[in-house]
Amino acid sequence: MSDHLSPAKLNALADGELALDQFASVTEHLHNCSQCTSRALEQSLLKSATMRAGRRYTPADGLLEQMERLVSSQDSSNWTAKDNLESRRPAINPSSRRMAWAGWAVAASLLVSAAGLTVMQLHTRSAQTAATERTALATELGDQHIATLAANLPPQVLSSDRHTVKPWFQGKLPFTFNLPENLPEDTKLEGANLTYVHNRPTAQLLYSIGRHRVSVFVRQRQNGEEQSDVTLTQLAGFRLAGFRTGNLDVTAISDVDPARLTALVLSIEHIQ
Amino acid sequence: MTLLRWKRTTREESARSTTFEDLALPLLPALYNVAHWLTRNPTDAEDLVQETMLKALRGFAGFEPDSNFKAWIFRILRNTFLTSRSGLTARYTVSLEEEIHEDGETGAAAVPEGTIDRETPELNLIRLSDRSALHTAMEQLPPPLLEVVLLCDVEEMKYKEIAAILNIPIGTVMSRIARARLHLRRSLSGNPFTKELRA
Repeated sequence: MSDHLSPAKLNALADGELALDQFASVTEHLHNCSQCTSRALEQSLLKSATMRAGRRYTPADGLLEQMERLVSSQDSSNWTAKDNLESRRPAINPSSRRMAWAGWAVAASLLVSAAGLTVMQLHTRSAQTAATERTALATELGDQHIATLAANLPPQVLSSDRHTVKPWFQGKLPFTFNLPENLPEDTKLEGANLTYVHNRPTAQLLYSIGRHRVSVFVRQRQNGEEQSDVTLTQLAGFRLAGFRTGNLDVTAISDVDPARLTALVLSIEHIQ
Repeated sequence: MTLLRWKRTTREESARSTTFEDLALPLLPALYNVAHWLTRNPTDAEDLVQETMLKALRGFAGFEPDSNFKAWIFRILRNTFLTSRSGLTARYTVSLEEEIHEDGETGAAAVPEGTIDRETPELNLIRLSDRSALHTAMEQLPPPLLEVVLLCDVEEMKYKEIAAILNIPIGTVMSRIARARLHLRRSLSGNPFTKELRA
């Protein structure tokens, strides 16, 4: 994400100086940007820590009495107002005014704390949800791969010719993809299956690298789905590798050497 | 009639002086705290507060009742400090860099994006809990930056109020706040306590 919040905005957020519309856009950005959330939190912590550390010096006991004496000893003629001060001053009891200020201060600090907590909770929750979704997807892909190996059945389309495999998916999938002509050494296309991942039609391309079997799942990403790609690199001893292009998520899973799996994935990515 | 007018006048005078007391005396700890930070000396701080109170009391007749008393008296404190011996010393020891960066720079422009540090919040939290390190970091701030930190973070004043007290544009307030926090972060990152944790 290139358009992170500027230091000025982060400071204004910590200082409660953002206008309502600015606050709304900043909050929206924070929901989607962990880096800025972290910086906003740090800025807020720095401010509160500075506040505590800054209240460092207290006046000596005698100073308050000295000031009280100073105020009371001054000749009243020194501060005679031209206008009737009382008539201009709002009829608010000073102690009530202090209470009101204190109330506003407490309310403001509570609001800032609540907003901060909400942002943190939302961010944590969305991060947890995304992590759970990623794990669930990886687990499902792993299950599908293991089931294919265990069934020991021929693929639904049995061919090493990409011009046979790709057209086989016509009318079966709401999307299309390309298959590479030149594969890494000792790698061969064995065929493909039509399968379902998270209840969505998915192409399961079957390759072999030496004696190792590889499943490459090609699925269409839904609108707004940003965090669902597999970022795990290992699952129950299997290696995972993948990429994202256009509206497709491609994930390969196998027990083969990671470098050889990556080479296959790169060759598929290159042709998209 | 004469007696009644006398009574009324006495009540008004009494109310006015009571009002000043009510407004000013609760601010005494805050005034003293800021004064001590600025002068870095308890005796000078007491003198500064005393002079501020005296000036405020004498100028109270000109104070607009609907305006912000706290900002008003802090402005008096600040102006009094600037003309004091310690204030004059502080003004002439501001680094040239601070003066150069001051002109015409506002908010984001004064602090490039890349200057924000990227360390973990956990580490910074540990660092921020070290109050003595923060004290040292604040003491190292140049006076113009220390002023805004005290008014913004310690006294929780709004940018507009700070601008009025310091007699500078709001953009400069934002710029100084950003630079002050950057100074603090840099000072704290040099804290041996933190270095030990990172090692």
